[in-house]
Amino acid sequence: MVVTTSTPTRFSSSLLCYCYSRTFPHFQKNICNNADVTATTSTVPFSSRRRRSRRLLLSMAVKTREQDMVLEEEKKKLQIGIAEFYDESSGIWENIWGDHMHHGFYDPDSTVSVSDHRAAQIRMIEQSLNFASLSQEDPTKWPKSVVDVGCGIGGSSRYLAKKFGASCVGITLSPVQAERANALAASQGLADKVSFQVADALEQPFSDGQFDLVWSMESGEHMPNKAKFVGELARVAAPGGTIIIVTWCHRDLGPDEKSLQPWEENLLKKICDSFYLPEWCSTAEYVKLLETMSLQDIKSADWSPFVAPFWPAVIRSALTWKGFTSILRSGLKTIKGALAMPLMIEGFRKGVIKFAIITCRKPENDEKGE
Amino acid sequence: MRLLTHNMLSSNIRGVVNGFPLKIEAVKVVEKSVDMNTDFLKNMFEKIEWKAFVEASVSMGYTELPEEADSSMLDSDEFLSRFHHALLELHLEEGVLVCPETGRRFPVSKGIPNMLLHEDEV
Repeated sequence: MVVTTSTPTRFSSSLLCYCYSRTFPHFQKNICNNADVTATTSTVPFSSRRRRSRRLLLSMAVKTREQDMVLEEEKKKLQIGIAEFYDESSGIWENIWGDHMHHGFYDPDSTVSVSDHRAAQIRMIEQSLNFASLSQEDPTKWPKSVVDVGCGIGGSSRYLAKKFGASCVGITLSPVQAERANALAASQGLADKVSFQVADALEQPFSDGQFDLVWSMESGEHMPNKAKFVGELARVAAPGGTIIIVTWCHRDLGPDEKSLQPWEENLLKKICDSFYLPEWCSTAEYVKLLETMSLQDIKSADWSPFVAPFWPAVIRSALTWKGFTSILRSGLKTIKGALAMPLMIEGFRKGVIKFAIITCRKPENDEKGE
Repeated sequence: MRLLTHNMLSSNIRGVVNGFPLKIEAVKVVEKSVDMNTDFLKNMFEKIEWKAFVEASVSMGYTELPEEADSSMLDSDEFLSRFHHALLELHLEEGVLVCPETGRRFPVSKGIPNMLLHEDEV
């Protein structure tokens, strides 16, 4: 993987532009409008109009290619940003929080102590499996192969491999995470069952229909193209397989709304910049995407009340001497990430950010109606 | 990277019709022994593309697998032990996985394949 070096300032401002332009599409349209494009009118002679139309089409085609190249470039920068962010921060997270890089599942309005969090993170996995109606009593119905999309340092993979006796592969953009995940698997005697690769969730390096369980625990928020992301999840799921997505979304839009309020988009934009996130979408949009792919038994829920204690706890851990010094030592990306934590609390409190679970099943081969 | 993983990996470069199986160019292969779990092996057997598996194990230097296999062979301890060894105990630490259609080389370093595609491949 080629990693370009750049100063944090230059990178973060270009990522900010990316987030801005993705959040406000008219920003890009304005670039297009400033180009040499003229409208045709009925008073202009026909042959001139045809020449102008050809020029117009040509310039639009060039603009589209240029825009595609800009988007590809931004996507590459996002990918590198994500990889570097996790290369830098995974170690400190693991040090303080352990090997699950996701929210805990708590009783609403509970106060929790540090020792409760590990159990809460396990509970998040178990609750997600239950929500998806993944039969746990009958071993013959257990998934035999699992893919962990955006696997972090492999906490979920190892847990699921142990629970189901399944083979698990995890994919991450971060080489540091993949290496650490493999080392942890080896140290836990799971090296035969789980393995980790560097790969892109939007281009999963697997043939179709491989996995009985497709697991995406808090990685969806990093995916710049939700349709492609969901398409890949569906593609690699085996017929009859289960897909579980647990992710951060923004609130569903009201029937008359075309977008979030400007203040809401501003809040999300700031979080995007710090956590290397592309544009957010809503739970309803995920459900719609799954419906277009003819997936079945689609269920979704807002689990925001069950994760409320998480961010205050993360902040408290960051303010301990160990947490604080570790963040400072890790680097600029980690510091920026840490500074964004209060924004997450604000987002949840104001109902902008939702912690969502969306699950579904891929039809069996003989169930397909098409 | 073990052959269990290799049997799942495929090249999804744009335009490639059949990116499976990836050819292995082994630079460093390490054997790491692991306890045999018969149930796990039987479950995995259903999922393995056998021809690709045999080809891959030969690239890793192991030639003891039968060219063809069916599930009745899972009753044989001899077969199980060879299957187990090839599937789970051979690790490609350093090497290359090659797309069968385009020849594109995906590096394997410290046992980890890097399957990220370049911009012009998506």
